[in-house]
Amino acid sequence: MTLKEQIRANRWRTLWLLLLFAALAGAIGGVLALVFQPSLLIVVAIVAFVYAIFSWFASGRLVAAVTGAKPAERSQYPRLFHVIETVTIAAGMEKVPPIYVIDDAAPNAFAAGRSPKHAYVAVTTGLLNLMDERELEGVLAHELSHVRNRDVRLMTLVAVLVGVIALISDFMFRMALWGGGKRSGGWAGIVALAIGIVALLIAPIAGVLIQLAVSRRREYLADASAAEITGDGEGLARALRKLQLDQQETRHAPRAVAHMFIESPMRASSGIGSTWRGLFDTHPPLDERIRVLEESSGFRLAG
Amino acid sequence: MVIWIVVAAVAAVVVLFLILTFNRLVRLRNEAETGWANIDVQLRRRTDLVPNLVEVVKGYAAHESETFQSVTEARVAAQQASSPAVAAEADVQLGGALNRLLIVSEDYPQLRASENFLKLQQELADIEDKLAAARRYYNQTVYRFNSVQQTFPTLIVARPFGFREREFFGTDEREPVNVSFGATA
Repeated sequence: MTLKEQIRANRWRTLWLLLLFAALAGAIGGVLALVFQPSLLIVVAIVAFVYAIFSWFASGRLVAAVTGAKPAERSQYPRLFHVIETVTIAAGMEKVPPIYVIDDAAPNAFAAGRSPKHAYVAVTTGLLNLMDERELEGVLAHELSHVRNRDVRLMTLVAVLVGVIALISDFMFRMALWGGGKRSGGWAGIVALAIGIVALLIAPIAGVLIQLAVSRRREYLADASAAEITGDGEGLARALRKLQLDQQETRHAPRAVAHMFIESPMRASSGIGSTWRGLFDTHPPLDERIRVLEESSGFRLAG
Repeated sequence: MVIWIVVAAVAAVVVLFLILTFNRLVRLRNEAETGWANIDVQLRRRTDLVPNLVEVVKGYAAHESETFQSVTEARVAAQQASSPAVAAEADVQLGGALNRLLIVSEDYPQLRASENFLKLQQELADIEDKLAAARRYYNQTVYRFNSVQQTFPTLIVARPFGFREREFFGTDEREPVNVSFGATA
């Protein structure tokens, strides 16, 4: 597929995943209303709303505080500034996002912020030491693509939905335990209750799986967007290859913000099976990402 | 009675389509214009830098008058360029002239070591990268803008409302200005 086709396909798949999500949330809400009391839905809606507002505004500086990122000085990192300014122009963004440096030997980068105006980018010292200019450009273009594609906004929304589903499930489980349901008589009532409880147990997991699927889809989209922005898919592919060969685990990466790094900061050490583990990854496997870039940009990496 | 409802519904759909399409065209056109503004900023930075560069080189290599001449002429042409296609052509000329100037300066080690010269070279390299980035983005926006105008059904709306296709800014076969750093041979 060409870059443009890849970008389109990724956006469509995100849409389908979100619809699936909405269906899941709707189904759970329906179960809540049918088996228990409909008025609970209002309570859940209010809680979800408050949670969403909080996440929306907190998603910015909170991340920087959590990872120990410090604002970069132009005099100290001239190459970094040159690259981020160039990539901002190539991405057609109005404002160069503030750039932070994390003192960590493991190479990694992330972008945060709810819109291009409020966005900022962070890189580790390990990344700056490892990458040459083309590769650094690819990485920063990938991060800026997340910002430009409003991925932070999307993933925040998805996280809130997952939280809501988990909340509803928790609620209903407690109610089932304490017998707060509508008693529709006989076997029908018990079966409905049983189905409801099973659904409640599965729903949060399903929600998380969908969330991770969306995260992976957006990573592919950011890769394709970055290649389009820089006109140099090979630069990003080489960066990914270098990341693949590097074995260090990023120390300052709490699980909650893992999905925003360019590659999964968690090293899954021993695996049950790569497919199973793959479902729980926020990022697609680096081999796949490199292969997709090779296909669309027409080059082949050595080795 | 029913027929009037149907007519009204169809009319509403058509109006909605017109509004959405018009807004989309405006948005794409603005993106292209912003893209052009970015290019313009870099082109101006370069034409502003050229006199300084010429002065510094003249300080060490005063007799290379032909090279200075072609650079100055190319600069004037670039400043006067009116449309993207003309500006792209002028940009190629200026790039070529600057390349020759830099090649000439390699024969003068004192020039190559001078701090002013190094700073100007660095800025020139910065401009080259940013110009390439701006050109890439601009051409992408022009591609989108022109494509939308050419496809059905948008093409029905585009012409009557005064939208016109834009010119691309040069091709990728343009030779970049080669800046090499360091006084080592």
